[in-house]
Amino acid sequence: MTDWFSRRQFLISAGLAGLALTSPLLFANASKAPSSSPIMRRIPGTDESIPAIGMGTWITFNVGGDEQLVAQRTEVLKTFFELGGTVVDGTPMYGSAADVMGEALDALDAHDRIFAATKIWTGDESETRQEAARSSRRWGIDRFDLLQVHNLLGWQGHLETLKQMKAEGKVRYIGITTSHGRRHREFARIMEREPLDFVQLTYNVLDREVEDRLLPLAEERGIGVIVNRPFRGGSLFRRFQSEPLPDWAGEAGVGNWAEFFLKYIISHPAVTCAIPATSKVGHMKENMGALYGKLPDADLRQRMVDYVRSL
Amino acid sequence: MSGADWLSYSLQDFVMFGPQVFLRLFVRINQDLWPWQVLAVVVAIGIPVLLFRPRQEARRLAVGLMAVAWAASGYGFLVGYFGPIYWPAAWFGWAFVAQGGLLAAAMFFGGVHGYRLPSDRFVVLWLIAVCGLPWWAVAESGQWQAVALFGVAPGTTAAAGALVVALMTGPWRWFYLPVTVLWSLFSAAIFWVLQTWWLLVTPLAALLLLGAGFWLSPRPEQNLD
Repeated sequence: MTDWFSRRQFLISAGLAGLALTSPLLFANASKAPSSSPIMRRIPGTDESIPAIGMGTWITFNVGGDEQLVAQRTEVLKTFFELGGTVVDGTPMYGSAADVMGEALDALDAHDRIFAATKIWTGDESETRQEAARSSRRWGIDRFDLLQVHNLLGWQGHLETLKQMKAEGKVRYIGITTSHGRRHREFARIMEREPLDFVQLTYNVLDREVEDRLLPLAEERGIGVIVNRPFRGGSLFRRFQSEPLPDWAGEAGVGNWAEFFLKYIISHPAVTCAIPATSKVGHMKENMGALYGKLPDADLRQRMVDYVRSL
Repeated sequence: MSGADWLSYSLQDFVMFGPQVFLRLFVRINQDLWPWQVLAVVVAIGIPVLLFRPRQEARRLAVGLMAVAWAASGYGFLVGYFGPIYWPAAWFGWAFVAQGGLLAAAMFFGGVHGYRLPSDRFVVLWLIAVCGLPWWAVAESGQWQAVALFGVAPGTTAAAGALVVALMTGPWRWFYLPVTVLWSLFSAAIFWVLQTWWLLVTPLAALLLLGAGFWLSPRPEQNLD
């Protein structure tokens, strides 16, 4: 009879099996197996929750017909999904970004894993449905989860059509966007009057104007908040990355600057999701680190602001 | 949008691609064109040789080759490669094609004069443009495949092409100016936003060479005929 195992092989195998049973993460890719549950946020007025870190496509996915870069961006999107992300926000004005997103979703066969958001951005208020349909074709999806009137351009006409589209089941959620702190008064008036599911606005550790009016208003009105420019277009890294993190960073659940900037944002109770953009897999992993672990409380959030100001 | 809204935008808000993607355009077009770049190099070196032949037909052929270079770099690089990531580039691509058409028209309808040029200065400046400027894209990207050749890359083509004003008669040269000047300013603004500092050399060189073209314009008594 053949000896299947020698005594030594048996002991080694048993030892490894025991180790694997007691420490499952030992044999997993640590980056793909976060040690805690992702931070989820409920969409106000619904039972649906989405991860608090999403992904923007500004600049990063506009790579044209460059097959090498399309493949690389597909890896970025794959990493995003593997680390628990679902919310992807685009816009028709970023050149080829929508087409590249469609190619990446095809390559990953991930059309059903995504919470797809894009914008309506045209001054022609009769073009809402056509622009939404064009974007759907480019992304290769049947419908968007969220359509937003971008920068309030032609918002009256677009919003009326979006309300009809929502009633017809052609989009699940509707909203409006602003960025760089533009037109906040008009933005607030629309939030007060219109039945919005989401607003998208700029918020980060330095640009905090929305804490005074728009974020409290969103909470009061039950509107979800998506935060763009969380890194101020990358300038926060250029300014602060050479500086050390504060000694108390661990208390805020922060292990790097990306987590510092993102956890500051998503720890605000009105914020539903932040959408950092990146073209690098390594940076995506850092961003998605903010989806796990502790969040700073109000006291730590103030210390984060004070620390950044002191640098 | 109100005036205040427009003022809240920065130049960066209008450049919706990154430096990596832009520099890859040079690599991609060179990979796709290979080995036809060799012809572009031969044309670039051959143009001054033709320009200073005694026969007027040779000068016309040189101008015709420059016209083809404008159109090829505009349609190839700007419309075909740059346009899909940035629609204003496609508009400039068609402007380059029109610039080539303008040069061709000048060739046939008396827009190219027959006066003798100071050949040594023209040739030196031309060779600096077609042999020196292509390497700034290499310096910026770190990849020799990104070499920005005359007739392929719009910046080098516009810079060398700026010298052509020295060959053109009065009204034609003024029609020829806008595309060169606007492209130089437009591309310089993009390179500034992308922080691709080495690439700024090319539009600056184009504007200087444009001035040099006027400086090299011959006096009427230098008529070749």
